[in-house]
Amino acid sequence: VLVGGVRYDRGTVKDEPLPKDPVIEAYKKDVDVTLLIENLKRTPQERLDRMISMLRLTEEMQRAMKARR
Amino acid sequence: MTDFGTLVARLIDAGVELIVVGGVAAAAHGAARTTLDLDVVYRRAPANLQRLADALAPLSPYPRGAPAGLPFLWDARTLANGLNFTLVTTLGDIDLLGEITAGGGYEDLLPHTVELEIFGRRSRCIDLESLIRVKRAVGRPKDFEALAELELLLELRGR
Repeated sequence: VLVGGVRYDRGTVKDEPLPKDPVIEAYKKDVDVTLLIENLKRTPQERLDRMISMLRLTEEMQRAMKARR
Repeated sequence: MTDFGTLVARLIDAGVELIVVGGVAAAAHGAARTTLDLDVVYRRAPANLQRLADALAPLSPYPRGAPAGLPFLWDARTLANGLNFTLVTTLGDIDLLGEITAGGGYEDLLPHTVELEIFGRRSRCIDLESLIRVKRAVGRPKDFEALAELELLLELRGR
């Protein structure tokens, strides 16, 4: 597999630095960096708790939408 | 919804040697995206396959998306005969990966992990740099946004 100029043979993690990928660079401008900055202030568990809360909220909303139909 | 905490705790408490990868690892590193399943790379040593089989057996694991009623036998032999398993369990969805692209197996990946305190347990988790490398190598368009976020996290962490 050749990705971003780096060849991956059998598939183990390589140590050389990855070159910038222009496609990913283009996507970066749409990321809300403030969310990431806030997340970095949290512990890994706090980050996961927030993710799980979001999933619960999504599930609740889907349930409510279904009940409304 | 997948009960990530109970699944991870159950596997760790059973002594299963595993590395958390995928969306849960991304979230633990600070990504703001959500995921629906738990992805783990597991060690393929026979004793570990037995622990993994025993730990998940009470959760009725079954191939995700497969028609009901297939003669699927969940045990260490099934694990030994396969490699990657996408399963649904009574606690939610879990992907058991014997190997991942650009990451290899458990032993290959182990030097590229960090130990994190999550779900009340010390858990091995792929490090951020390697998670980026693996996702890049897979090259799925759906990962581009996630990759942008992960690379920004790495840059922010380095400041």
